[in-house]
Amino acid sequence: MSELENIPWNLILPILVLQMILMVVALVDVIRHQRTNGPFIMWIFIILLGNLVGSILYFIFGRRQD
Amino acid sequence: MSSFNVLLKKEWRENLRTYKLYWIPLVFIIFGVIEPLTNYYLPEIMKSIGNLPEGAEFTWPQFQGEDIFVSLMGQYQMIGILIVILAFMGTISGERKNGTATLLYVRPMSFSHYFLSKWIVINTIVLGSVWLGFFASWYYIRILYNSVAAGEVFAFLGTYSLWLVFAVTVILAFSAWISTGGTAGISILLLLVFQIIDGLIGTYWTVSPWKLSAYAPSAFTGSVDQSDYWLSVGLTVALIILLVLFGIRMSKQNAAKTLV
Repeated sequence: MSELENIPWNLILPILVLQMILMVVALVDVIRHQRTNGPFIMWIFIILLGNLVGSILYFIFGRRQD
Repeated sequence: MSSFNVLLKKEWRENLRTYKLYWIPLVFIIFGVIEPLTNYYLPEIMKSIGNLPEGAEFTWPQFQGEDIFVSLMGQYQMIGILIVILAFMGTISGERKNGTATLLYVRPMSFSHYFLSKWIVINTIVLGSVWLGFFASWYYIRILYNSVAAGEVFAFLGTYSLWLVFAVTVILAFSAWISTGGTAGISILLLLVFQIIDGLIGTYWTVSPWKLSAYAPSAFTGSVDQSDYWLSVGLTVALIILLVLFGIRMSKQNAAKTLV
């Protein structure tokens, strides 16, 4: 447990929160939009497992613009 | 001017609905926060996951707050510019393909309003995102390193912003001229590859838009020839104006290519 207490949470937490917001925005968009390049279930997994990179990949390549 | 306001609103709403207004600032802020943190904790990160041999000793460079700003700019120069290119490459060419343009071009609207409304909204998004990223980074730099003088930071950001406006103008002008794929290719060539070429053999000339990112850190050190700096700024502004005029002309000329 002391390992966990040594982590400077007040510095790390904002990143986690920001990444969480980005992930939620991406997920909301996938579920509402549902028109993706490739199956949208796949994109949900990419966003959930890929963290920051997954969300960026979804917005750039996964989202169909038309 | 009312048609211009309508077009501005249309652009803003489009970027809101395609979520670009949310995710681009978020990504830049996340990069801005990660950069000072990873640099600060680099020795510890390497100790726990770096797979160093037993007893290996390294002297890590002592970073100053100013160095973190510069290394974050390096990050934005590669990943940031790539994200901006990929996000906005279809701004005009995509509209011609997906039918939005058909709805627009049948109305009496001036193409300079059309192009400039896009130019203003996209520049607002890109500059806003980068500035927010640097401000987030600034906050962390204050905590982890030393406080950097505000005047220097704003001089640095100002120079870098001019380069960003240039980058956005290049993307938009080519988007007005050729297809989305071609825009991506040429923008990557002009904005990323040229930047590397300029870094490699750029000692032979001192005035170019690509030099702006090299001159920006001089706001912290003050070691650059002032005339070279201002000539580069002037050249970049001139190129931006030329590219805007070119983009307006091309969006008018290519209006016939719209798919109905």
